[in-house]
Amino acid sequence: MDLSEKFGPIRKGLLEFAVLRVVAAEKLYVAEMLQRLAGTEFATQEGTLYPLLSRLRREELVEYEWQESDSGPPRKYYKLTEPGRRALDELAGYWQHLNDTLTRLGN
Amino acid sequence: MRKVTTINLNHNAYQIDEDGFEALRAYLESAERALANNPDRAEILSDLEQAIADKCRLAHGPYKTVVSAAEIDRILKEMGPVAGASEESTARAAGPGEAPAAGAPGAGIGGRGPGPRRLYRIREGQKWCGVCTGLAAYAAVDVTWVRVAFVMLAIFGGGFGLLAYVVLIFVMPVAHTPEELSAAHGQPFSAQELVDRAKKKVTTGVRSAGLAAG
Repeated sequence: MDLSEKFGPIRKGLLEFAVLRVVAAEKLYVAEMLQRLAGTEFATQEGTLYPLLSRLRREELVEYEWQESDSGPPRKYYKLTEPGRRALDELAGYWQHLNDTLTRLGN
Repeated sequence: MRKVTTINLNHNAYQIDEDGFEALRAYLESAERALANNPDRAEILSDLEQAIADKCRLAHGPYKTVVSAAEIDRILKEMGPVAGASEESTARAAGPGEAPAAGAPGAGIGGRGPGPRRLYRIREGQKWCGVCTGLAAYAAVDVTWVRVAFVMLAIFGGGFGLLAYVVLIFVMPVAHTPEELSAAHGQPFSAQELVDRAKKKVTTGVRSAGLAAG
């Protein structure tokens, strides 16, 4: 059974959750987010991450500020907003709930 | 002898050979298509260009002024295909948080009048085929009232409610894009970003450099 393929759509749906979590921990720019996610099941690419971040920003879950960098042009550093933090708590709660349900179903 | 093109990626000048240029153009064009209905299209494209420019800079050795086609290919592979509306859910673009109700008239970038209101079926929150959700959005009333009306008509109207529903399924198109969803709710959908993007097209200049490729 190829778990990676089976859970592909679920991982995709959870990417938003993973990104919110990564951003919740610290202020990051995109290359750093990709680094944090690389090597995990949620490894992704710029082509996916930029549209996702733009939606999260429209939904006012994240915001960014420009910061100068030592090398090259200024970067957009993303961080969670207050509604973003609440949304993340809700997501975490729901995820926990799903887990509990799955565990309970077998018993 | 190979032709080298100087490109301007988000105000960074790079030189790439013809194959690389073609690959890059194809990538950015497909990104534009994927983001066709994204309200933040211009910003995302500019972010993507910046990311490519950053990667080009990394690929540059101090003695190299030209980014090879192979490097461009590698960079674009690293970027990955740009997620379009179907993959990257924008269905919520017409949600309550999106209504620019707070935007004072005249304070905006201009041209943001009220959008046209159109009758669409709305899949989001539908019970059956999205007719009631669409009607409710169009009339700006709670969808429950529309459903109650249909059920009443179906029961007491000699089946008229049912018939009307079925007819409306065929008459009303489904709102697929964020643009259509905005129209379904009578919310403005900004074309400003699209215009911005058109003005800011990748500028290209052609320059030839002997043996410089690679």
